[in-house]
Amino acid sequence: MARNDATVAGELAPGPVKKLLGAVKPSTFRAVASFVFVMVLWEFVARILVKNPLFFAPLTAVLGRTVELWQSGELQVHIWTSSQEFILGFLLACLVGIAFGVVMASSVIVRDYVDPWVSMLYSTPIIALGPLFILWFGIGVSSKVAVIFIVAVFPVLINTFAGLSTTDPNLIEVARSFGSSPMQIFTKVRFPAALPFVIAGLRLGVARGLVGVVVAELFGAKQGLGWLIMISAQTFDTAALFAGVFILAASGVITVEIIKCIERRLAPWRSQEDRQ
Amino acid sequence: MAQMKLETDNLGKTFRRAGAAIEALRAVSVHVKEGEFVSVVGASGCGKTTLLRILDGLIEPTEGTISIDGQVVNKPGPDRGFVFQQDGLFPWRTVMRNALFGPEVQRTDLGAARRVAEAMLRLVGLGGFDDYFPHELSGGMRQRVNLARALTVGPEVLLMDEPFASLDAQTREIMQGELLRIWREARKTVVFVTHQIDEAVYLSDRVLVFTVRPGRIKEEVVIDLPRPRELAIKRTPEFVHYADRIWRLIEEEVRESLGREVQEAVLAHR
Repeated sequence: MARNDATVAGELAPGPVKKLLGAVKPSTFRAVASFVFVMVLWEFVARILVKNPLFFAPLTAVLGRTVELWQSGELQVHIWTSSQEFILGFLLACLVGIAFGVVMASSVIVRDYVDPWVSMLYSTPIIALGPLFILWFGIGVSSKVAVIFIVAVFPVLINTFAGLSTTDPNLIEVARSFGSSPMQIFTKVRFPAALPFVIAGLRLGVARGLVGVVVAELFGAKQGLGWLIMISAQTFDTAALFAGVFILAASGVITVEIIKCIERRLAPWRSQEDRQ
Repeated sequence: MAQMKLETDNLGKTFRRAGAAIEALRAVSVHVKEGEFVSVVGASGCGKTTLLRILDGLIEPTEGTISIDGQVVNKPGPDRGFVFQQDGLFPWRTVMRNALFGPEVQRTDLGAARRVAEAMLRLVGLGGFDDYFPHELSGGMRQRVNLARALTVGPEVLLMDEPFASLDAQTREIMQGELLRIWREARKTVVFVTHQIDEAVYLSDRVLVFTVRPGRIKEEVVIDLPRPRELAIKRTPEFVHYADRIWRLIEEEVRESLGREVQEAVLAHR
């Protein structure tokens, strides 16, 4: 008899547990197993191999430190500060990126003037301008917003532009055949066709923006997750450092999931293709 | 002479690209009666699709005019519906919203248009698929939506550009039969471009055979077969006779143009 993966997984445990595992998809099972394995390995390495808490912290210690920071109310302040900076900077990047992408795609003249700058700035490690932004805008929220904006805006802009300029000519012809005006062709054909590209740009922007938060706070801040990481490193509080890193990782995953959710709503045909 | 539904008078089209002029159509005069089904066949590159795009108003002719019911037209309008070769459905719109695209851009009453769209989707055999997205449908079903979308604007003339070319052989035969039924029920005038000779004979009242570039009408073949036509008619001697005749006309053209090309190549070689 042919055995499928589910029954193989089920053989590990008899009785009701077997039933439960049998219901889990093999790919989910493997992902969870891999996660558990790495966590155990982490704990083992931290407790047995690297005994010096200065270099590495066991997961249990990181968890304990996270709870401590939360109870003192300190962690909430950092999370709130960084979220505020990220949300403001990212929203600004979305607005400006999409607007400029649209303008560039609609006017050849604007595109010719702007394109060399966009390509140049997109490929520069623009985060190096961080210290300058601190100088200009101070160590408060606004300098971080500026850094996040400047790193996240280019992927959004370039993807919006690319999406709008690569619309299937057949679809435009269909729209013309029904007597659409140029404005209708834009709003009803080119923009919806470009949406999956725009969303891909947003995803890239999220990744870059999160790096932006941390690095901008490293350059100079009073609070925030990046600042927590830096201060913890300077005071040899390795567990708190990992606490900051984990929260950042989690917020990255959450933001990407939110964007995927938006994509499923706005571009259902696209996410369908992804799944196949 | 009776009023023609669709008429062209000495249509000519010359494309200019990078200094070179390519004459695609020359002196094409087509007269299509109301309710008539006319096919255009010819070797590839003979300007069939160009003719159809001019008829729809997507491109302008270099010479000549097009008139519908005696009125000259020069841009796309709701009196003509174009059915594209690639189904050209908007992937982000459901079947119903694809069908409603025409009324939406033409700003007609959407409530009434929805009822028309429902009727047209039922007519093409896609009732109950309103909320499906194009990627959830097969090629034949997508082509049906494409047809329903063109019918929803209530055109008097349907312009069809090799609509079944990308379908597999069985689906294509079924769709041909379906198209005849829809044509009969919706009472439209149809201009149908294809490179499939048997498709043209099976569907049409008249077949216009085009010459190779520049495209002109080489000959008009009136298909005098009884209607309604069953698929089995394709095996009758009369049908085969028509198909053979059209095939010979096209073959002649292709041979002639090949000969011309060889001659030109030989001359260039000297």
